[in-house]
Amino acid sequence: MKRSTHYAPLCCKTPGCGARALTEAEHCWVHIEDREAFLKSLNPGDMVDAWLAGVDMSGRDLEGANLIGARLSGASLAGANLRNAELRRTFLDGANLSGAQLDGANLEFAVLGGADVCDASLKGANVQRANLVGTRGLRANFSGANLYYSRPGNADFREADFTGAHIERTIFRRANLAGACLAGTVGTANFENANLEGVKR
Amino acid sequence: MIFRPFLLNVNESNAFVIACEETGEALLVDAGDFDTHIEDFLHEKRLRLTTVFITHDHYDHTGGLSSIIERYDVQVLSGRGGSGVKGKKVKHGDEVRIGSLTGKVLATPGHTGDSVSLVFPGMVFTGDALFSGSIGGVSSPQDGKLEVDHIRRNIFTLPDEYEIHPGHGPSSTVGIERRHNPFFV
Repeated sequence: MKRSTHYAPLCCKTPGCGARALTEAEHCWVHIEDREAFLKSLNPGDMVDAWLAGVDMSGRDLEGANLIGARLSGASLAGANLRNAELRRTFLDGANLSGAQLDGANLEFAVLGGADVCDASLKGANVQRANLVGTRGLRANFSGANLYYSRPGNADFREADFTGAHIERTIFRRANLAGACLAGTVGTANFENANLEGVKR
Repeated sequence: MIFRPFLLNVNESNAFVIACEETGEALLVDAGDFDTHIEDFLHEKRLRLTTVFITHDHYDHTGGLSSIIERYDVQVLSGRGGSGVKGKKVKHGDEVRIGSLTGKVLATPGHTGDSVSLVFPGMVFTGDALFSGSIGGVSSPQDGKLEVDHIRRNIFTLPDEYEIHPGHGPSSTVGIERRHNPFFV
């Protein structure tokens, strides 16, 4: 069977469905018959460039998973364990990562625009050059993370913890940082029109 | 489709290779530098670089062009409107073919007069016209309006799931930028 991938996707075989088939499957997430069997068939060590849009992997243990370049747009990863996962250039736009564990994960160039990372832990994560435009991350923990040249424009990071984070060239344009902790941050960020009410420094 | 992004040393600009799997023909979007990683990738995948698409005439997008022309027999495409780039000039609506892939040129002036984007099914290369959470710098309010108007008309009318691959910084999607980019909402 030809493998559907991010940049060479195949169509879902359900008549009338215009969605793309998941990698290693013939159907999209909506039309796949046995979701549990599909999830069990995935090899977390090699999901590079996989097409996994919309999948529900909430609560799963994906520690150290290799998802480089994969497309997980709209996926549910709430409460998932993604510690030390490779998420470089992964598309997670609109994904639900609330409460997920992303400590030490590599999110360089990852696309998290419009994603939900509320209460997620990204301690020590590599978030360099990541797209965080419109990301919702209330109480998210970025302590010690590297956010160099990342782009959290219009993001909602109220009460988020950036203690000791590297924020050189980070673009917080119009972000809501009310009540966030920026103590011990390193570097000069762009806070143009950001809400800094009650920020702890 | 084969797709590979490259982060270049010159001003942290991006370059992208897209190629047709069936014919092995490849297109390079922007050439700020001629990075050996690009050459290695082309060699490894046995791709034939036939076209270079320049999004606009700034050194961090054209600096490697002469090296590429020395090594490869390529057609260079760039926008009209003051570009000093030698090669074929393209305009809004022109088609760009790479094997079985067909792209279309979109006018996105403002950052420079010659700024053009290139859309293929599922993705658009926007150069310095549109970035993740930002837009290209302009030299006058008129140019700013021109840029915003063209982005609204030519980029934001693409499907939300289309990927945006800009000249600097991370990729994005049309949906993210249309809903959340601080310059538009």
